[in-house]
Amino acid sequence: MILTRWVMYFGHSFTVFMFNVVALSNLVHDRTRLLVGIAGVAFAVLLAFINLGFLGALSDTAGLLYNQLDADVYLISPLSLNGTSTKPFPKERLYQAASQASVAKASPLYINYGAWRNAENNDALFMLGFGFNPKDRPFLLPELKADSATEALTQPNTVFLDRRSLPKFGPQRVGLQTEYNRRNVTINGLFALGGGLAAEGTVMMGDQNFLRFFSPRTLDRIDLGLLKLKPGADINQVVLSLRQRLPSDVTVYSKADIIARDRQYWLETTAVGFIFSLGVGVALIVGAAIVYQILYADIAKNFKEYATLKAIGFHNRFLMGVVLQEALLLALMGFVPGLILSLSVYQLIIQATNEAIPMVMPPDRVVLVLGLVTATCLLSGVLSLRKILVADPATVL
Amino acid sequence: MSPITPSVAWLNLSHKPIRLILLLSGIVFAVILMFMFTGFKNALYDSQLQLIDRLKGDIFIVNQRRVSLGIPMQIRRQVLYQAQGYEGVKSASALYMGEAFWKNPETKLVRLTRVLAFNPEIPLFDFPELQDVAELRLPNTAWVDRLARPELGSIKTGTVTELSDRRIKVVGNFTLGNDFASLNGNLLMSEANFQRYFSGRDPKEGNRTLNEIDMAVIETDPQFSTARIASVLQQQLPKNLRIMTRDQIKVWERKYWQESTNIGFVFGILTIMGFVIGVILCYQIIYADVNDNLRQYSTLKAMGYRNIFLYTVIFQEALLLGILGFIPGIVLSYGLYEIAKVATGLVFQMTFDRSIQLLGFTIIMCFLSGLAALFKVQQSDPADIF
Repeated sequence: MILTRWVMYFGHSFTVFMFNVVALSNLVHDRTRLLVGIAGVAFAVLLAFINLGFLGALSDTAGLLYNQLDADVYLISPLSLNGTSTKPFPKERLYQAASQASVAKASPLYINYGAWRNAENNDALFMLGFGFNPKDRPFLLPELKADSATEALTQPNTVFLDRRSLPKFGPQRVGLQTEYNRRNVTINGLFALGGGLAAEGTVMMGDQNFLRFFSPRTLDRIDLGLLKLKPGADINQVVLSLRQRLPSDVTVYSKADIIARDRQYWLETTAVGFIFSLGVGVALIVGAAIVYQILYADIAKNFKEYATLKAIGFHNRFLMGVVLQEALLLALMGFVPGLILSLSVYQLIIQATNEAIPMVMPPDRVVLVLGLVTATCLLSGVLSLRKILVADPATVL
Repeated sequence: MSPITPSVAWLNLSHKPIRLILLLSGIVFAVILMFMFTGFKNALYDSQLQLIDRLKGDIFIVNQRRVSLGIPMQIRRQVLYQAQGYEGVKSASALYMGEAFWKNPETKLVRLTRVLAFNPEIPLFDFPELQDVAELRLPNTAWVDRLARPELGSIKTGTVTELSDRRIKVVGNFTLGNDFASLNGNLLMSEANFQRYFSGRDPKEGNRTLNEIDMAVIETDPQFSTARIASVLQQQLPKNLRIMTRDQIKVWERKYWQESTNIGFVFGILTIMGFVIGVILCYQIIYADVNDNLRQYSTLKAMGYRNIFLYTVIFQEALLLGILGFIPGIVLSYGLYEIAKVATGLVFQMTFDRSIQLLGFTIIMCFLSGLAALFKVQQSDPADIF
């Protein structure tokens, strides 16, 4: 008995070693075919990454604005859809909130869309406009925090333009004159924010200019209330107590919560989320089909050899191991070029859209796609196995 | 020699029916992939034109600076009266468009909708449901698009809720569909109601009067040439107007969405990838087939058949596979288009041109794969095989 066990044990480690050699040789044997297989898996990986990239960009769009705001707690009307499509609420709410001991600074933000004239071809396009008191310095963007910017923002009929606005808005040059909401405007400075998939172009202006461009709007109805807390204050505590004290025409969020609220809007209420999720599914089907084809053809070609192995006593488990390892190898060999290709396509998209779409590759997405591709390849491996399992050496040879 | 080749290609393929079905399913998959990606791309563009398709009119006038129907920029109502003074102009009517917050009657959450308004006395739209406009003439009423997004809640006739903080009653449904500018759905109302909902709003949402119209729609007398009337209007009406015939406005609208959004770029990449994946799949299929019959091919070579004969067989197989795979592919895609149409409210059209184009792509795809498989046959040496 013991002897048999030892033999089995040795036999087992032997087969483990054999696995790699047989699987690899089977694949490498026909180079063209292997390359086609790798290309196929790489394309499926690329397709999955691109779709996840757009989905991620849609989700990251939510954080773009808030991450550049110097505030811990946000007041917003419950009727606002997201940070760029807001309903104004009374400014008194901001003052009520500011009466809390832990609030260091309370500043209003005004938001409105206006028609921007492309100075080159006169096209009228909708540009998102933010208005604020320049002395509040609500933005973390260095170009807007500088003392010179505070001064420049107070000059009448001027705005700062987002360099990441799409090219269709026309030239981006300090000093350029055009029209905003049917009023003359001069670009007085530039900054880099990026509207993601929400806004194609953005300008910032002092609140007095906001009044000029968006008359008859007034400053006593604000779009977003920004609260900066004193160091050491408990943000959640402040949010909870403000929620209790303030009337229901305004809701209170921490930074993380308001980003989550916007993200939910972008993912759930636009058809884009559905299309990109579908894309990921298609990518996996493609990968599965390609790997299945390769393995199936490989089994068909080497059928005699597999049958011979069976005849000399190898178990089905060994043959299964070979095929599944081939599937695994294909997945890994296709994943690496797919990942590299995806990174360059991300870069291409960032450049093509003037850095407006935030395409980043977080590590968990890499792990997710690797996992999905591996699982898909193993699944096709299992599907292609059937033929070997029923192979009868006697009929084959 | 050549008369027998088609049957060789066919016999090769039909020899193992189960295998042929497997082969075809791969090609069908590639065809569906291409149809779906181009389908989504075209749907997003075609959907922009469905509003224009539903307007009765021959000449359309918008502001010269307007870039698309989806981006507001109005013109003065006087244009209607000026245009009516020209010979051949049968009627000129105004289309108003605006965005307003609709309150979901169930969840009480507000969602933006697009409001289309017109004078109910002049039939501007050709919705079959829109025969009786009597109820649209009543104050605070509207028709709601059946294909509006579910976020709007109940949109059935008789529903009472709020639009722009004012009471509204749904008095009917029509079928238009969604596009980039329709937000969560379309509402249709009389211009008198439009004025009710769009004046006296919060300054943020902007106030509108009937003096500023979004588009003038002109119907011409069939006895006159539409193109000629359009050119006369272009010369004589103020220069800040863009005057377009039906064909021109469709080109203008489509061009905006194609050139100034990232959608074309995204789906362009996906379609090309669909094609590449098709080539890879198809190559594998034809390669496996060639590999199976390698002995037979070598035998033919040994018997004195030239390479050109073998090429012909393989290309014919590719062509046959392409055509045979395309037929179920197009049928299945048609079904998927119908499903997608219901799911998204977008226009999924399978036009003759686009189908022919994709048939071409499918055949090219199979040929490219056949070409790659050829290298293998070329290398086959009769002496090695046996």
